[in-house]
Amino acid sequence: MNHNNNFQQSSDGRHDDDAALTEFLSSLMGYTPTIPDELVEHYLAKSGFQCPDVRLIRLVAVATQKFVAEVATDALQQCKARQAAVVKDKRDKQQKDKRLILTMEDLSKALREYGVNVKHQEYFADNPSTGMDPASKEE
Amino acid sequence: MSDGGGESGSKHQQPHTKRKFSGDDFSQAIAKVAVAQICERVGFQTFQQSALGKLADIAVRYINSVGKAANFYANLSGRAEGNVFDIFQGLEDLGLDQGFSGASDINHCLASSGIVRELIQYANEATDVPFAYAIPHFPVVKDRKPKSSFLQIGEEPPIEDIPAWLPAFPDPQTYFESPSQNERASDSYTEKIELGKQQRKMEMSMVNLQRQFSESGPSSFVHGDSSKEKKTVESNPFLSAPLHFEEKEVSSVVLPAKLSKEVALQNPVAKKHVVDNHISVMETFAPALEAMKNRFCESREEQKNIQLDQRPPVQFKIGVGKKSLVKPLKSSPQNMDGGKIDPWFCKENENDERKGDLKIF
Repeated sequence: MNHNNNFQQSSDGRHDDDAALTEFLSSLMGYTPTIPDELVEHYLAKSGFQCPDVRLIRLVAVATQKFVAEVATDALQQCKARQAAVVKDKRDKQQKDKRLILTMEDLSKALREYGVNVKHQEYFADNPSTGMDPASKEE
Repeated sequence: MSDGGGESGSKHQQPHTKRKFSGDDFSQAIAKVAVAQICERVGFQTFQQSALGKLADIAVRYINSVGKAANFYANLSGRAEGNVFDIFQGLEDLGLDQGFSGASDINHCLASSGIVRELIQYANEATDVPFAYAIPHFPVVKDRKPKSSFLQIGEEPPIEDIPAWLPAFPDPQTYFESPSQNERASDSYTEKIELGKQQRKMEMSMVNLQRQFSESGPSSFVHGDSSKEKKTVESNPFLSAPLHFEEKEVSSVVLPAKLSKEVALQNPVAKKHVVDNHISVMETFAPALEAMKNRFCESREEQKNIQLDQRPPVQFKIGVGKKSLVKPLKSSPQNMDGGKIDPWFCKENENDERKGDLKIF
């Protein structure tokens, strides 16, 4: 690590970023990400990446957590926007659907921005009521 | 919030464990719980199962692709083990379609990359939400203990061609005695079969004896035939009465012949058996017994015939409908010829009629 830092220092001489990076890496030792180390270690080992350093595993965990949190935030925004649109149409359903639910619809919209195309079949239903909605609309 | 996340995770795990397990189920379940916790902190209250599963799957794929890219860059720079900068490079690759500050600069420093700065910012802002459960280290790899070599044991290999560093042979008893054991097993097997055959023979003979006794014993006692008793006495010299001094000269064969003549006068069938009395007692008795039975039957039939004659004809008609056609046919020849009819046949009819009578009454 020191060797790399020295290399960076010699080549670019950006001491601020270097110091921030070393501080961040050392702070990772005391940081416990939500995604457990064992899980990240398992999947990193599966992908072929091997490193005994716990800090690197934590770094990947933090990066993954950040990614998931960003996707979830986008989905939450989608959800809120959809609910706001529904409220304008029907005031009755407002109270019923007030809860913030992570749905496939919002998630697929959020993931599309991150380069993930989520597609599911037309008849895919999470629960019996999902399939009933178009029928009730037709009636 | 964290408690709720735990609950939702555990609630989700329940149906998951009921399904059949695959190799990756455990880690996927953990990923779902972790993603659920993150979503809860973002602000979601509930989730669809499919959406959570999808997001967890994508998170796992993200870890996988980061690891792949980092490994790729490590190998590109001639290293087997990864490095912080390999991971940053991989993160940059993954974040390219999202875009980050400084991405356009090809020769930018990795430490000052926009991705790293965002990551540091996120880590400083985000509060620690540890995972809801304590997880053991997985996957559990069972380390195999290799078999110790000849060198480690301190033995010399039995053949010169085998180098000493190869694993030692198992104990010679395990493979040297196996053929002999097989032979023994086969021998014992054949012996067992033979023993079984012998035992079966013994049992069969015993059973035959018992059968003979059961057949002969009661019949001889019941009928109490004098001739048979005498025959047994003749066949078995130990059971015979002690002979007097004068009788000793008389041959044992002649004596029964005289006695049997008296029997022969009474029963011609018995006489025949007396002639060949060298056969076993049972065989000699069997026909005699049959003859006796026949006699009894005949006598019984005679009695029954008499009874039949005595009975009023009305009772024949009272019998079961099926028999009504048959009975007059049989009864008429009986009256006509009488003695000609087969005694067994008559007897059966008689029995049937009696049964019918019993039913009626």
